[in-house]
Amino acid sequence: MFLQKITKLAKSSILELVLLLLCVVLSFKADGFFTTDNFLNVLRNVSMQGVIAFGMTMVIISGEIDLSVGSAVAFAGCLTAVLTKTLIAAGLAPVAAVIIAILASLIVGFAIGSLTGYIRARFDVPTFITTLAWMTVLRGTAFLITNGFPVSNFPDWYNYLGGGYLFGIPFPAIIFLIVFVIVSILMDYTSFGRSVYAVGGNAEAARLSGINVKRVKIIVMGIVASFAALSGVMQSAEIMSGTATTATGWELEVIAAVIIGGTSLMGGVGRVRGTLIGVIFLGVLVNGMTLMNISEYWQFVVRGVLILSAVLINRAQQIKR
Amino acid sequence: MLETVDLRKEYPGTVALNDVSVNFEAGQVHALIGKNGAGKSTLIKMLAGAITPTGGQIMVDGEPVSIQSPQQAFDKGIATVHQELSLVPDLTVAENILLGRLPRKKILGSIFIDWDKTFKLAKSVLDDMQVDLDVRKKASDLGVAQQQVVEIAKAMSFKPAALMLDEPTSALAHHETASLFRLVKQLAQKGVAIVYITHRLQELKQIADKVTVLRDGCFIGTVDMAETTSEAIVNMMFGEVVRKQRPVDLESSDRKVLDVENLTQANKFNDVNFCLYKGEVLGIAGMLGSGRTELLKAIFGAEKFDSGQLTIAGESFKSITPQIAKAKGLAFTPENRKEEALIQILSTRANMCLAPMDRISVKGFTNASREQKAVAPYIEKLHIKVADIDEEVAALSGGNQQKVVVGNWLATKPNVILFDEPTRGIDVQAKQQIFEVMWELSREGIGSIFVSSELEELVEVCHRILIMKKGRIIDAVDPAKITADELFVMCMEE
Repeated sequence: MFLQKITKLAKSSILELVLLLLCVVLSFKADGFFTTDNFLNVLRNVSMQGVIAFGMTMVIISGEIDLSVGSAVAFAGCLTAVLTKTLIAAGLAPVAAVIIAILASLIVGFAIGSLTGYIRARFDVPTFITTLAWMTVLRGTAFLITNGFPVSNFPDWYNYLGGGYLFGIPFPAIIFLIVFVIVSILMDYTSFGRSVYAVGGNAEAARLSGINVKRVKIIVMGIVASFAALSGVMQSAEIMSGTATTATGWELEVIAAVIIGGTSLMGGVGRVRGTLIGVIFLGVLVNGMTLMNISEYWQFVVRGVLILSAVLINRAQQIKR
Repeated sequence: MLETVDLRKEYPGTVALNDVSVNFEAGQVHALIGKNGAGKSTLIKMLAGAITPTGGQIMVDGEPVSIQSPQQAFDKGIATVHQELSLVPDLTVAENILLGRLPRKKILGSIFIDWDKTFKLAKSVLDDMQVDLDVRKKASDLGVAQQQVVEIAKAMSFKPAALMLDEPTSALAHHETASLFRLVKQLAQKGVAIVYITHRLQELKQIADKVTVLRDGCFIGTVDMAETTSEAIVNMMFGEVVRKQRPVDLESSDRKVLDVENLTQANKFNDVNFCLYKGEVLGIAGMLGSGRTELLKAIFGAEKFDSGQLTIAGESFKSITPQIAKAKGLAFTPENRKEEALIQILSTRANMCLAPMDRISVKGFTNASREQKAVAPYIEKLHIKVADIDEEVAALSGGNQQKVVVGNWLATKPNVILFDEPTRGIDVQAKQQIFEVMWELSREGIGSIFVSSELEELVEVCHRILIMKKGRIIDAVDPAKITADELFVMCMEE
């Protein structure tokens, strides 16, 4: 009985075990890996993409996808910068200008995402297509509102949101953990979370059970886009400017972390905790390879192989059942 | 010509076809008839090579043959036209007829399709069948009847000795049926053995030379159509059934819980009027395509209706959605359990919390133990056999899955439950348990509408049975005064 429990636990925590193994190996092989500073560094590096990954987990569980998150990060950063600059020029106090600009970015992000969800529910256009369109539209708009140059008119303290520390922990990492807790509760302990799984597992059965499928899709798409905007704000704070060229390719890294965390692209299956591990796993791997002076080119290859292996392992387990 | 000897198909736990011996002769139209689950499809699928027998022998021209794949069936001269049309819409008639076998020619050493020959060949196939159809037309431009003809032409282009037609008239209008029959007779006159599967009794006289009746997987008999009557065939289909009675204490009151007025959905159902009383079990009898499923879906709001009105517990609706229907005390168990009712990859617990989640959660919050407590009484009440309610629902048997669907809705405390084919594909014991649930609901004052293709079930279970045909309710009968075979004849009559 005890042995059974151990094997079951080991099976369900396979990713955690692999992550632990990776950390042990890197502790011996990579100089400077096993230090508090380095761990905080990893945490800071993963947190901006990680925030989006939690939203993406909800989206993928609901059977959808969002390819526009990278562009949304750049767009939100630029929008915040441009609004701040404009409002300060109009005579507003910097604090008020920044707060209004951040809120506006988050709201615009949510609006764009929920529009995607509405188009999905009302006109049956796959989110794959709609968000592909948003990907270029948002990137283009980011260039348009900044004229292609970094816009930097933030007050100095703004840098805290991207580069500061609270109780010795990087501020973005704290946001990352807060978002993790909120999304975990939302997905595991609310009726809304249950309906996200239901819609992703079988939308027709969910609809015929009286679940508002349209509402679920609109909300999850809105959430991931506003998380991307939040990430964009933190990113602009880190580099102290709104830059249209940032965060290219983020959508793939975010989706990779979600998939490595065990969420199925078919919908209906996945855990927020898995995504947390997936995000950290990718961060540790990149950090370790960098410390070991492995070329960035190799890192691309390794990441790709990792994504494929993770999906293969998941599929193999499903087929066996 | 084509013969089966003690042909048998067993699945774990059931015998789908029980030692059936039947002989299909060249030049004859031989009809195969039986209720749902009688074994018609199983027999046809084995002859077509879609499934393999677990016993017995298939003979062609007196020689035992083994048919392991559709290709082998073609090679042995057996062609099949399945119920579902399978033409490629964007290709021409000629390409569809010769699909995968288009004639080729060489130009400058490269291989091209020989279009002249393609059209000529296809035309000759159609000419042989005395059908006048433009072979250059796209399949998508054809009507259903013409598509059916192309399907037959496709089968005939293999020059088969036996042609099997699986319910070919199910999608056809009356006059189209007549021309299809002419075509089938012509083919028979040319010496082709025609195997004709149908559940439409009235077609037999027009088309069949011989009729073989199957029941519950068994061979009941083969008769010459000239020497028999419809009544005799119906008797063979149903057999001597022991008439079961529903419990005597069930009463329906005169309080209406659901009133359906002039409900119409174009091409599906027309001007439907009926009401359901508190505690009543109301049956709807009708053949496939009579509009019964569409009607239930429209009442629940799963599909829109064009006109008419619903009154649920005194409140009237000109349109409705599943969410509103649920809020007003309606429940619906769909016909296709796997596709429409259950989320296969989720647990039994999650599936039983789908509909009642608003009742289970408190201010939007829920957790496993709360859900477990909410679900447990229904697992017990419905005798659901489940080892671990956190395992995927897909692991359960069909009967238990159906009970999960029912339990999911019972937990919403409905006033009316719409059951669409709740007994399809489940074992006898589970069926009986579903009936007992309906009766228990009746005692609690909950009304049920029960749609089933199994007319015996309706006669056994219901207070009152509506007969639906071609989208209309044509009659209401008292099950105490009717037998299943009489009901069958009423559903079929033209």
